[in-house]
Amino acid sequence: MNSIGEACTDMKREYNRCFNHWFAEKFLKGDGSGDPCTDLFKRYQQCVQKAIKEKEIPIEGLEFRGHGKDKPENSS
Amino acid sequence: MKIWTSEHVFDHPWETVTTAAMQKYANPMKPSVVGVDVLHRPVDPSGKLHSHRLLSTEWGLPSIAKSLIGAERTKTYAQEHSVVDPVRKAMELRSTNISFTYMVSVDERLTYKPHPQDPEKTVLTQEAVITVKGVNLRSSLEGLMASTVSSKARKGREAVEWGIRKLSAEVEALAASARGSIRAPVAAE
Repeated sequence: MNSIGEACTDMKREYNRCFNHWFAEKFLKGDGSGDPCTDLFKRYQQCVQKAIKEKEIPIEGLEFRGHGKDKPENSS
Repeated sequence: MKIWTSEHVFDHPWETVTTAAMQKYANPMKPSVVGVDVLHRPVDPSGKLHSHRLLSTEWGLPSIAKSLIGAERTKTYAQEHSVVDPVRKAMELRSTNISFTYMVSVDERLTYKPHPQDPEKTVLTQEAVITVKGVNLRSSLEGLMASTVSSKARKGREAVEWGIRKLSAEVEALAASARGSIRAPVAAE
């Protein structure tokens, strides 16, 4: 599945591979700390935020905030 | 205002269904969803995973209409917020449209939980509230939209089943490859 920003699709796929593995093998098995995908997510997000601005997608005022701000202190 | 609800049982445990549901939009049953992005994905202090996603859907207009209207304007957007609680084994998902909110509001809620009588099964409860704003034909439009939601919901469930089959096939392929590599040194002797 593509990203909303065409340039972001590869970054998204890389992040998704990391996330899907962590989600099934760690998070669902009770080990939700230490998310290894933070850097991949940051890179992917920078691209997506740019695409949202360029396409003028109306997300202002919605509950999306930054990325990872609510994460516990000990996550990687 | 129209409310539509449905319940469905998957013949798979909650972890399998939740994993497939998280990957749901890469599937052939919903070709109109053309873009999905995660915008925010924190684990909250109680250990629940939140995902905020932005979805873009293509109307499926013929290309001449798109060239008249402009390719970007034939897309509609929705937002989705899901919460996964790995301790209580519950996934809740809520999505609302962002586009055309001045005309219509579609608010869908889904809950995936283990079946109360059989832990190898999962119950999906779905609910949609549809409100068409300021239109005389309100109730028939809302009825039409409710049947569209119902058909999309069925496709959504088929998409999760598809995801589960795909995951099983990948696991089987990995297991077969692992068995093959364990046998090989023995055969060489």
